Amino acid sequence: MLAAVLAVSVGASRAHERPATRTVWDSVFSIAQAARGESAYAKGCARCHGAALTGGDQSPPLAGSAFLGNWNGQSLIDLHQRIKTTMPSDSIGIYDAKFVTDVIAFMLKANGFPAGDADLPSDDATLKDIAIRTSRPTPPQ
Amino acid sequence: MLSLSPSRLIAVLAAGSVTFLSAQGAAQNPSKPFTTARGEWPSYTGDTRGSRYSPLDQISAANFSTLEVAWRFKTDSLGPRPEFKLESTPLMVGGTLYTTAGTGRAVVALDAATGALKWTHKEEEGPRGAAAPRQLSGRGLAYWTDGRDERILYVTPGYRLLALDAKTGNPVSSFGTNGAVDLKADIDQEILPDITTGEIGFQGAPVVGRDVVVIGAAFREGTAPKSKTNNKGYIRGFDVRTGKRLWTFHTIPRKGEPGYDTWQNGSAEYTGNTGVWSQVTIDEELGLVYLPVESPTGDYYGGHRPGNDLYGESLVCLDLKTGAKKWHYQLVHHPIWDFDIPAAPILADITVDGRAIKAVAQPTKQGLLYVFDRVTGKPVWPIEEKPVEKGEVPGEWYSPTQPMPTKPAAYAKNGTSLDDLIDFTPDLHAQAVQVASRYKLGPIFTPPVVSKAEGPLGTLARGPTNGGSNWPGGAFDPETHTFYVASSNAAPVVLGLVQPSKERSDMDWIAGSAAPAGRGGGLGGGGLSVQGLSIFKPPYGTITAINLDKGDITWQVPHGETPDAVRNNEALKGLSIPRTGQAGFTVGTLVTKTLVIAGDPQVTTLTTRPRGAMLRAYDKKTGSEVGSVLLPAPISASPLTYSVGGKQYVVVAVSGGPYSGEFIALRLPTAGPQ
Repeated sequence: MLAAVLAVSVGASRAHERPATRTVWDSVFSIAQAARGESAYAKGCARCHGAALTGGDQSPPLAGSAFLGNWNGQSLIDLHQRIKTTMPSDSIGIYDAKFVTDVIAFMLKANGFPAGDADLPSDDATLKDIAIRTSRPTPPQ
Repeated sequence: MLSLSPSRLIAVLAAGSVTFLSAQGAAQNPSKPFTTARGEWPSYTGDTRGSRYSPLDQISAANFSTLEVAWRFKTDSLGPRPEFKLESTPLMVGGTLYTTAGTGRAVVALDAATGALKWTHKEEEGPRGAAAPRQLSGRGLAYWTDGRDERILYVTPGYRLLALDAKTGNPVSSFGTNGAVDLKADIDQEILPDITTGEIGFQGAPVVGRDVVVIGAAFREGTAPKSKTNNKGYIRGFDVRTGKRLWTFHTIPRKGEPGYDTWQNGSAEYTGNTGVWSQVTIDEELGLVYLPVESPTGDYYGGHRPGNDLYGESLVCLDLKTGAKKWHYQLVHHPIWDFDIPAAPILADITVDGRAIKAVAQPTKQGLLYVFDRVTGKPVWPIEEKPVEKGEVPGEWYSPTQPMPTKPAAYAKNGTSLDDLIDFTPDLHAQAVQVASRYKLGPIFTPPVVSKAEGPLGTLARGPTNGGSNWPGGAFDPETHTFYVASSNAAPVVLGLVQPSKERSDMDWIAGSAAPAGRGGGLGGGGLSVQGLSIFKPPYGTITAINLDKGDITWQVPHGETPDAVRNNEALKGLSIPRTGQAGFTVGTLVTKTLVIAGDPQVTTLTTRPRGAMLRAYDKKTGSEVGSVLLPAPISASPLTYSVGGKQYVVVAVSGGPYSGEFIALRLPTAGPQ
């Protein structure tokens, strides 16, 4: 009946993909962008996820270890696509890529990641190249 | 409305297991052929009592860690896009597993032994479905049989009740109109603004007992509503054979009904919500139904509805056949904390001081277990009205007291104080104090405040909205009279109010922050955390066992791997931190002959194993962890267990982060080729 019983193991394999060369610790967004994102968040996201990103009855928190744990090791393109293709849940698709990128900049700031001089761009290649890491990577010796 | 054509109904009858049990069971007891005692899982919580208990014992402490994948079922294709929030606990009846799944909330029937798809049914609801306040796959289904017909009861996102033939997935034409009842109609009110976009829905599982199917009502998240006026969450019972409405219970009393005067200034006329978005429980033996009612309109501001606001945040007991109210107990007067009663009430037959009591136990967001005689509504242990702080929000009405159970003790943290802040190091404690200084702290029932940029930004609370225990609820072991529940201690919310623009809302106050955008606002630099750590001390999440004969906590353990943000934290280098558990409101407990089983709500990345989340088993007597298996994503619903072909299975839903929904069935290793 079952050709093979698989060991319980992780799902999506990303072995074929090139690992990201930067992380969210590398000052990948600007303060001005995070401020834009905060305004966008207040308009589009806070009604379910809370003004302080603490989540709601039906909506997960977007800051803190619960959020970071589930995204640790993923890239910003994963997060961007997740938001872009599933939010807001009652009118999916109304947020354009830049709106989502700005909100991500705000989320990064709210999660304690450092800001830099330049905005986080919305192009796939750049977002794919930035990994979410809960902890600052140790610099190479 | 569109059912898939027969050619698209996928019928896989390889295992040939669907019919034999129904014939066999019907011969024994036509009205009740399927029970957890027979290795089935015929209702969302196993039975209609909220138990989540199965006496199966093949999977035990000795072998739990050897569990292997029997089958997996990915739900991506059951809607227009993958879903990342799979919360269903399937049913298992007669060798077939039934569940809702996918962004379009399809119903699927799978072979319970192989996971092979037997049939799928999907409703296309167009704009009505798109406007639904409760989207996505929902939490499950109800099963009914009279020994001959077998039906699956299903609520669509657009709030229609369907009866499907359990064998084929086709609508039962004699039920309602062509198999469906429009739940937005015949509801003792006009759903506004219109039937297509009018806000009301339900994503919980229907429940059926004594041929009555009871349907809840739910709305959008309610911390910042557009209006003080909304549709009302009346609860109804329907004849499971015909779809005829049998009764409607007005969760907001109408003029002339008892309780109307608890809504001052006529506010019962326009206030809405006050539905049941979680799970209804039925006592089939006594013919009673138990409703865990949510908050009225305005989760954090009740100035437009002065008074105690019955039956907001009340446990209500009705006659199952007539809908007549037997008793009620309001757990929170004049709700302004979003303490919706979030989970199935649990029926528990217990013995207290030598006296047998048919009890009902209600787990809550506030981490308090309220226990009543379920016949009389009288508390099993005294519940005292305690004075609480009166707030200062202009226009708000405050209840001077709130009910507080004297027993059992709180099983989750439900207030905030400086003593609760992390003290891993003096520096981290100082930083946590700095973050907390922007908020008002206080015990349970500290009221919301007007948000001020200079502080306080709000009341920092634990329990409201997503703390304590939430929709997965608890479990009850009828053998040992022990109640089990998972809960969060580190899910703080900010109860801050702002005045909305007239375009935004006609409420005087809604949830919000006065912090100017881009100026930090208490969120820049880590929000309610410091250096990636929650400002609150662990444990972040626990599982608690409470003996309901005595009302005492028998054990409590941290549940969940220590999060990455703690284990890899530079600020904690050199410190030995015991397992912290995890915060999360998707953790449900399953109790078996010997085990309590629950999954981690967060993914962790350890050097010793691949990235993933653990499904854990605890010795139900002691709370010792006796086994675990790695799953690829957060466990996002309560597990179920059943037996098919002599083998016990545990099935869990996983989803979250970038991982889309999947059911994974586990069983013990098979010996050799099959």
